[in-house]
Amino acid sequence: MVMSRVRLIARLDIKGPNLIKGIHLEGLRVIGDPREFARLYYKQGIDEIVYMDVVASLYGRNSLHDIVRNTARDVFVPLTVGGGVRSVNDVRELLRSGADKVAINTAAIKNPELIREIAHVFGSQCLVLSIEAKRQGKGSWEAYADNGREKTGLDVIDWVRRGVTLGAGEIMITSVDQEGTCKGFDTELVRAVSDAASIPVIASGGMGKTEHLVDVIAHGHADAVSVASILHYKRTSVPEIRSAAIAAGIEMRNAP
Amino acid sequence: MSVEVVIIDYGIGNLFSVRRAFEHCGATVVVTSDLEKILAAQRLVLPGVGAFADGMRGLKERGLDKAIRSYADSGRPLMGICLGMQMLSSVSEEFGEHQGLRIIPGRVTSISGIDHQGKPYKVPHVGWADMQSKTYETAWKGTILDGLHPGDAVYLTHSFEVKPDNPPHLLAYCDYGGKEITAAISKENIYGVQFHPEKSGPVGLKIINNFINIRL
Amino acid sequence: MSKAFFGLPEEVIFCKRCVISNQRPSSTVEFKHKADEKKATIGFGEDGICDACKFQEIKESQIDWNSRDEALRELAAKHKRKDGGYDVIVPGSGGKDSVFTSHILKYKYGMNPLTVTWAPHKYTEIGWKNFENWIHVGGHDNILFTPNGILHRYLTQQAFLNLLHPFQPFIVGQRIIGPAMAAKFGVKLVMYGENQAEYGNNPDDNYIPTMDRKFFSVRDPEEMILGGKSIGEILGEKRFKLDDFAPYIPPSADFLVSKGVEVHYLGYYLRWDPQECYYYAVENAGFQANSERTEGTYSKYSSIDDRIDMFHYYTTLIKFGIGRATYDAAQEIRNGKITREEGVSLVKRYDQEFPMKYFKEFLEYIDITEQQFTETIDRFRSPNLWDKVGNEWRLKHTVWQQPSDTEWS
Repeated sequence: MVMSRVRLIARLDIKGPNLIKGIHLEGLRVIGDPREFARLYYKQGIDEIVYMDVVASLYGRNSLHDIVRNTARDVFVPLTVGGGVRSVNDVRELLRSGADKVAINTAAIKNPELIREIAHVFGSQCLVLSIEAKRQGKGSWEAYADNGREKTGLDVIDWVRRGVTLGAGEIMITSVDQEGTCKGFDTELVRAVSDAASIPVIASGGMGKTEHLVDVIAHGHADAVSVASILHYKRTSVPEIRSAAIAAGIEMRNAP
Repeated sequence: MSVEVVIIDYGIGNLFSVRRAFEHCGATVVVTSDLEKILAAQRLVLPGVGAFADGMRGLKERGLDKAIRSYADSGRPLMGICLGMQMLSSVSEEFGEHQGLRIIPGRVTSISGIDHQGKPYKVPHVGWADMQSKTYETAWKGTILDGLHPGDAVYLTHSFEVKPDNPPHLLAYCDYGGKEITAAISKENIYGVQFHPEKSGPVGLKIINNFINIRL
Repeated sequence: MSKAFFGLPEEVIFCKRCVISNQRPSSTVEFKHKADEKKATIGFGEDGICDACKFQEIKESQIDWNSRDEALRELAAKHKRKDGGYDVIVPGSGGKDSVFTSHILKYKYGMNPLTVTWAPHKYTEIGWKNFENWIHVGGHDNILFTPNGILHRYLTQQAFLNLLHPFQPFIVGQRIIGPAMAAKFGVKLVMYGENQAEYGNNPDDNYIPTMDRKFFSVRDPEEMILGGKSIGEILGEKRFKLDDFAPYIPPSADFLVSKGVEVHYLGYYLRWDPQECYYYAVENAGFQANSERTEGTYSKYSSIDDRIDMFHYYTTLIKFGIGRATYDAAQEIRNGKITREEGVSLVKRYDQEFPMKYFKEFLEYIDITEQQFTETIDRFRSPNLWDKVGNEWRLKHTVWQQPSDTEWS
């Protein structure tokens, strides 16, 4: 596959009014006000922002509309919103609030036709299929739902292929094993997904330093990289990541 | 006294973001499908995401296609964004052949997904691309790209592109898979941008600013 | 005439701040524990707020943690040995709490801990992995003590049948091993992690850094009650000898005093936050949360090392109407990790989930049939808590059916 410019994406997990962060999607610490973090990253030149509502499945609804609306006021890069999105109407409401793309996971696993419906009404470009993957053994991963809490029995690669056929625009692949550890991505996972999908793949879960980003792009063939812990905990900054990546030979938008 | 910008509401598109970006740049924004307001506008924006046929149907159902053509004839500034840009052209290949507004003659074709070496690449094209032009010093002056330079990046997400019939109507292109893809077109005061200026950070906001303040 | 078993409060009320109910039992002196005893339960104030939540307030605003930290340093200095010997015993299984305790004492406070483990009934895979990482990644010496399985299983079985408290023998052993090992190694300090008083035991216990010695006073071993039977009774069955009970007979308080053994809680010196222990353990000792949610709750990092553990919590649900999710949520609400609203939703979704995964293993472990299991648990359903509706047992009172209370801001 030809590499186009890699996107640098900030992922913010949100619970109620708070930005939170866990390890292995567990032990969720409150970090601060998500809008402030989003604004900061925008100012620093992030390419895109993802908001995930991590209690949406528990309450049966996505509650991010206010945060989205507020963020979209003065953050002028693409905003993807996920968590508890279950219907075409949920998508409509989020897009109306200022989201550009919507991420779905649990609802799509329960009813894969939902992907087709959403793509049909709003277009594939607004639909990101979010997959949480847990390693099962060599070269095999199982998809998890409900923010990493429930097994599904689905093979990730099979699910990826199906999602593409049904009309997803992008895939966001999160490694539950690597998430929050800052020890690197599951590059093998990303590679397997990218090889199976003709649509762009966003690698998520595990970014600890620039070498990880370079590795998951060069060997994992990721089209975009999602970063969380190291930004939220201020271990590095957007400009630092960008310049280190470009210096390492990765094709990326120049600092705006 | 701020400039009033009318954004067309025809049931499709990320209206909130577009509106916010124009407001952020100081315009007074009216989002409407009212034919009179559209015909009387000082600046008109046609947003849109999704499929060509759906977009055209949305316009036709509301009688907006005629209104937009009428407005375009008046010489006042018009900007089509993403699907909005594609609809300015003559015809699209997406899901069959469909007629566009025929305001800037051209054809909407799919991005092939095969690069110049015959290798496959990902479609839709999603991400930030540098705008290019071989003649930007003259071609961009006084347009919505005034003050920008090749290498300034904008955000695109699309599977189809516009190929204008007349080369002078190509305002900017970008590189994807070793091929040139149309990023912006223009004909007098009518502009089409494949990218989303409301999502392209400071570069996009500058483009919006240029549009609001464009000299007639 | 009370309808409630074990002398539980007749009326069921839920804390306005967290999700715990007034049925929550306080810790018992386990080897005096008989089936018909009246249980002490968590205290509730007139304002409907439980003692554990009240203690949280104190933790946050009234305790001078700097001076407590100083006190810990002094304690460490007092026990430091010049001959390279161990100066503190840290009991634990390699869970987040013991990992935190041993590691921070060793690497921040400069102590020389010996960790001691009273073996879980059956280590889970993740539990064993974390146990090994505790030693090999965290860097600790460890003694793993595993009691005779034949007796341990028998006692667990009896505890289940007679008390619906299968974990009782484990708790007895776990409480003994720290001080017992201290005495054997000539170590004077035993340091546990969290103080159970935080969760609703007698709040006064929170101000005393040492454990109540009533747990270590046994005059005649044959009078000790394990699994709801006295040791004397068990001996009468002619399967076991008194020698077999050695691990369950605690050293006497006098003996411990003569050896200078003191039992402290780290939770007295450092402000305890289980989730922060998790983070610390991950970052310093290779601790890993479970990849899947524990049955009966939403959590993946709490108490994940024993397959039998699930039935400890499940029997708690049967006896007191509150399950694992309630305990986890209550703690996380108090520590500001989740709101009460979220806690209620989590309890509603997970609290009554039956632990299927290790059910068969559990039955085999204590050698009973499924029918015996069901008959036993049904015997312990207190009428003030449970109603039978058709074929199903339902809780009469649940935290999610209460009228909404004011949010604690």
